[in-house]
Amino acid sequence: MASAALSRRLPCRDDAARARLGAVADRTRPVTLARERSLPVAGSLGELLPGAALQRGTVVQVDGALGAGATSVALALAAAATQAGEWVGAVDLAGTLGAEAAAAAGVALERFPVVRLVPGALERWAAVVAALLDGVGLVLAELPRHARVGDARRLAARARERGAVLVVLPTAAARWPGDVSLHLVAEGGSWSGLESGAGLLASRALRLRVEGRGAAAQVRRGELARVG
Amino acid sequence: MHPERTLALWCPAWAVSTACQEDAGLADAPVAIMERGPRGLVVFAASARARAVGVATGLRRREAEARCAELVIIDRDPAAEARAFESVARATEPITPAVVLERPGVLTFPTRGPSRYFGGDDALAARVLEAITALGVSDVRVGIADGAFAARLAARRAEPGASGAGATNVVAPGESPTFLAPWPVAVLRGLVEDGAGDGLSSLLVRLGLRTLGDFAALPAPSVLARFGTDGARAHRVAAGLDELTAAPTVPPPELVETCELDPPATRVDEVAFVAKELADRLLDRLAALGLACSQVVVEAETEHGEHHSRCWRHEGGLTAAALTTRVRWQLDAWLTNHASDADPVTAGLTLLRLAPDRVVPATGRQLGLWGGDAAAVDRAERVLARLQGMLGHHAVVSAVVDGGRTPTERVRWVPWGEPRDEPVAVDAAPWPGAVPGPAPARVHAAPVPAELLDASGDPVQVSGRGEAPTAPVRLRSDALPGGSGVVVAWSGPWAHDLRWWDRITRRRRALWQVVVTCPDPRPEAGGAAREQQLACLVAVEGGRAAVEAVYD
Repeated sequence: MASAALSRRLPCRDDAARARLGAVADRTRPVTLARERSLPVAGSLGELLPGAALQRGTVVQVDGALGAGATSVALALAAAATQAGEWVGAVDLAGTLGAEAAAAAGVALERFPVVRLVPGALERWAAVVAALLDGVGLVLAELPRHARVGDARRLAARARERGAVLVVLPTAAARWPGDVSLHLVAEGGSWSGLESGAGLLASRALRLRVEGRGAAAQVRRGELARVG
Repeated sequence: MHPERTLALWCPAWAVSTACQEDAGLADAPVAIMERGPRGLVVFAASARARAVGVATGLRRREAEARCAELVIIDRDPAAEARAFESVARATEPITPAVVLERPGVLTFPTRGPSRYFGGDDALAARVLEAITALGVSDVRVGIADGAFAARLAARRAEPGASGAGATNVVAPGESPTFLAPWPVAVLRGLVEDGAGDGLSSLLVRLGLRTLGDFAALPAPSVLARFGTDGARAHRVAAGLDELTAAPTVPPPELVETCELDPPATRVDEVAFVAKELADRLLDRLAALGLACSQVVVEAETEHGEHHSRCWRHEGGLTAAALTTRVRWQLDAWLTNHASDADPVTAGLTLLRLAPDRVVPATGRQLGLWGGDAAAVDRAERVLARLQGMLGHHAVVSAVVDGGRTPTERVRWVPWGEPRDEPVAVDAAPWPGAVPGPAPARVHAAPVPAELLDASGDPVQVSGRGEAPTAPVRLRSDALPGGSGVVVAWSGPWAHDLRWWDRITRRRRALWQVVVTCPDPRPEAGGAAREQQLACLVAVEGGRAAVEAVYD
């Protein structure tokens, strides 16, 4: 009795009402659907990507030997996401991700949670990445040695379903066992500013190769200007 | 509508007396209880001796210590305060069954029934005072007025007599608006959730409205138009009216959330998880009906059939976190048995129930039609909390860039959910001796051992003056892809003498920026093995070199 009186008097906010509201929102949504499906990437990195953007719901692999600049490229992608207002989650296996470099690349650190997996928790890697894909717009995941084909397929499906970008960073011993829609390979470059016994590290010209499927099928090569 | 006549009981120094109860040695010492607020650690409460030398609420720790050198600093423990306050609530129960806890140290109840039974408001106030003083609580103030807000202020106005044991103050029925009028608007602070009351009271002062009487004299529709629903609520309270325009709805019984505990729980942490789930579920269901809850009854049953219940109230609606905290305090109070308890919990809890007692239409946040930032924040926070539950509190962190010399020192990792305490304008002044240049993308918190060798194959030495007689030629370390590389460019050594004023923690080290070429471990198919450049930061300390960071 009291309940009936209550629901008459108050605006209805149950699931059915939400669904109806959602349907109205979909019908009256302003256009821009194409742009909403992508994260724009600015600068010389963006010029190398098809459409100067990352497509949401895809898997991107950033590869390169240590010191060749793969981490810098991945952080630049993370910066593009936080600048679009998204949250970025990182899975840091060795605890070596440089937060200062992230801040310098333009990542908003208050929207950049980092998950540290101690060696004992490595078997939870797939569960952690899947959880992050639920909550944030871009996940930066270092690959452990044992990443399985099944995990890769599940995570790619989860990213597609959630509209999140999964950026995988394989280490020397690990490879991403699934398909990727974009493959960025950092090929290193020469450092300038430092000489024999004098000067300071200033910048480097980072060579980058971009391969992929669809619009990115043609291999693009280019240099990123002034990457730290 | 006229507010219900209410009695408020206030123990002014509850935090201090709780701390003194736990540690008898503090009884005569100047004690300050600290709480972490938006300005950092500030004084939350101070003992009489500390107050006498000028330690006031809101002072920062260092200011407080400067005013009183022998000050004993204690962190606030709201759970212990709530646990100790349970005895006060129990002592009030013989007088009225309708006790409502507002926060540790303050409780209220409607006086209509008990006042008639005991022969008037004055007699009731005296009786409550007597009951609480009998517990050994040193300072008790009792105020009776129309409405809980006026009653709390009446208790604050109660002046202790010569005996110092406590005081009562009764504002006659209908006199509350006159009583409230001269109070400064700052007392509205805390009435509105999330510090919004702070903004309101300071804004009113800037508008020239310094007292509640000035504010109450404004026409209500204009206040609603200018300050919104929260402002209108504060306006009604300032005018001595009930804060709600409509009578509070009696919540339907199906909103009660119950959980059976099997096996019975005897420790708080066993129930706390269930309590959080119950609180979330209750508030979710209320939100679906467009309701907020300002008062909730926590009930528990034990294996021996004992039934306990306690009512908690929070100004401006309970959030999930606030509700969980209060349930946790209450369970803690029940499960921690005191020897003096007349009615102790003798067995494990088998049932926990949360019943909303007063629900009001929710006027809070409304999400944008197309989602928006608030939804993204909620989603991310929920996932991160889940990950913290799965991997541990310290496994999910957030970085704060701070001052320091090396990349390791410049970054502070804060567990997710804790205050980030961002430094103000970190770039304002350079750090002497800081490593210049771009920030390395890979930082080894535990540097990887390395060997920095000169042309003859010996480790490069750095003298006490920070000079190296020979040039580095080769770097060998597990941190490099091939295990070693040829130095093509370097700079350094930069000598650091850290904490030279302290013999034990003093460290001396020298830093090198080094660019090496090493073989690419993954040469392209068919191509010859290529070489690539790698820049890193090498530290030499105590004759041993280590790679601190790699510019990846």
